[in-house]
Amino acid sequence: MSQRKTFLLLLPAGVLLVVFLAIPYVSVFISAFREPGQGTPYGEGYTIANFTRILGDWFYVKQALNTMLIGAVTTLATLVIGLPVAFQLARPDLKLRGLFYGIVLSPLLVGIVIRSYGWTILLGNNGVINRTLREWGWIDGPLPLMYNTLGIVIALTHVFLPFMILPIMSAVQGIDPSVGSAARSLGAKRPTVIRRVLLPLAMPGIQSGCILVFVLALSSYVTPALIGGLRVKTTAVTVVDAMIDTFQWPFGAALALTLSVLGGGSVLIFARLTRMKWK
Amino acid sequence: MTEVRLNRLTKIYSGGKPAVDSITLDIPSGQFVSLLGPSGCGKTTTLKMLAGFEDVTSGEIAFDGEDVGRVPAEDRDIGMVFQNYALFPHMTVQQNLAFGLEMRKVSKAEIKRRVQATLEMVQLDHLADRYPAQLSGGQQQRVAIGRALTIEPRILLLDEPLANLDAKLREEMRVFIRDLQKRVGITTVYVTHDQAEAMTMSDLVVVMFDGHIAQAGAPREIYETPKTAKVAGFVGQVNLIEAPMDPATPGHAATPFGPVPVTAPGVGETVTLALRPEAIDIAPAGAPGTPATIERVQYSGAIVDYTLRFADGTAMEVKTIPRHPFATGDAVSLSVDLARFRQLEREY
Ligand SMILES: Nc1ncnc2c1ncn2[C@@H]1O[C@H](COP(=O)(O)OP(=O)(O)O)[C@@H](O)[C@H]1O
Ligand SMILES: [Mg+2]
Repeated sequence: MSQRKTFLLLLPAGVLLVVFLAIPYVSVFISAFREPGQGTPYGEGYTIANFTRILGDWFYVKQALNTMLIGAVTTLATLVIGLPVAFQLARPDLKLRGLFYGIVLSPLLVGIVIRSYGWTILLGNNGVINRTLREWGWIDGPLPLMYNTLGIVIALTHVFLPFMILPIMSAVQGIDPSVGSAARSLGAKRPTVIRRVLLPLAMPGIQSGCILVFVLALSSYVTPALIGGLRVKTTAVTVVDAMIDTFQWPFGAALALTLSVLGGGSVLIFARLTRMKWK
Repeated sequence: MTEVRLNRLTKIYSGGKPAVDSITLDIPSGQFVSLLGPSGCGKTTTLKMLAGFEDVTSGEIAFDGEDVGRVPAEDRDIGMVFQNYALFPHMTVQQNLAFGLEMRKVSKAEIKRRVQATLEMVQLDHLADRYPAQLSGGQQQRVAIGRALTIEPRILLLDEPLANLDAKLREEMRVFIRDLQKRVGITTVYVTHDQAEAMTMSDLVVVMFDGHIAQAGAPREIYETPKTAKVAGFVGQVNLIEAPMDPATPGHAATPFGPVPVTAPGVGETVTLALRPEAIDIAPAGAPGTPATIERVQYSGAIVDYTLRFADGTAMEVKTIPRHPFATGDAVSLSVDLARFRQLEREY
């Protein structure tokens, strides 16, 4: 294909990307360095005051670290739950495949608000879990499951599980079954085959799954807002508060940018640590 | 050095007809044995049972007289080479070779020494730190063979190891594998559907059809004294002659070349005879022999294939070095040493 044709074919997607992705990013980036405005999104002049305010205030730093912790723990939880599920789903002799795929995807089939309210019904002080435990006499007071980091992690783990399972499953399905047989013929027992051969070969899927879930968890808004309520706020929730409630666009933009840098940096470090030389 | 014995070995996959049907076979220690047969005849299944990857439905597998039917694959001490090599993509050549020794808890220094020895044996010392994806097909194949041999297994199993290589490399690898096997002296079972591979490499060729052993013997024996028409046809070109008993010479069948002694069926019935195309001599018309007409000539340099027709309408293939420039339509004279005829068993 000629260069010209290639260019023309890429043009619509290119325009779409620039208008709806690049421009907003650039705009957030710029406004993070502006003075606050009076009735306008931002005022005259450039400043780094927004960042010094964030970094100088333990409240925001702690919140960002807690947000990162939520992302990391959610990633870990989806990995621990998702890994065995993905390996089972990848078996070529799996029966009722369609049904299992449906179950795995089910968290994504329910609207985000409804799903989050579902979790408040389960996790609340008078929710299903606490009430059941109390009726069985296992606890006296309610377990704190709502309005805290734990509740947010539980709800996020639920919804992002498919994003961990699907890439791992697809990586495992791509492994040549005779590689496992070869390992056994060389004397490896089942656990060793998994540890030395199957897990390393599933690494590309594990890596994608972890990055996906971490990034999604870091930037999620509705679930942390509904489950965390007023007591525990993630950085994403505070960004929206700053922009919508108090109309501090430059400060919100700076917060958002800080979170992006932290998240992007973590992803880079993670990718570097899990780099596969054989790919 | 391990002697392998299969006794009425059978495999039935869930609900189907037997993939391997009561195979009995003795493999003497140190021999190179080929399982030869068309796709789907049960070669791979037999190999998988030997390796321990598939359960045995019934029958026995014994290594040196010891029943290994219930021994799991990882404890069976076999070296296996797969058609697609099945190298560990995330390990270098060196790490691939070391894997089996690590499983055996061999000391670091000893692993290093033996991996180096294997690298030299399969001529890959210059590629020790490459990943499989960075190797050619032939090199990957040599890693696979080396990996199977470093553990010094009791037997070596290979499943169509050359099927993915191009023709020239395939011939090189045949010689390479055969030489290596002789040097190491390991009992080897080699699965192939390529008769040339089986014939050139093996001490013993086992021809399989449909889960059964049709015939087992030395390559020469299989080629020169095939038991059935199917075996005769699978290991090379063959003329099959449905010959009536000769009323003039009792105990002989009548062929275009004269009466051939056979173990006679009842009078009036026919026997099936096999005659290899290269057993027939072809000379210009007028020479002593049976007259025939040339119907087709396929010249390929070193040899030439003729399709000939006798006066009675039967056709015959002849393969010979191109001595005379015969052309289509020429009248010729055919002669044959009658001892080259083989009487075949009936297949029911
Ligand atoms: N896992 C399996 N499940 C069911 N049938 C199988 C399986 N593997 C092989 N078969 C059947 O068993 C027969 C022999 O197969 P195989 O041993 O692979 O033949 P070959 O290696 O000689 O081509 C074939 O009919 C094949 O379809
Ligand atoms: Mg096969």
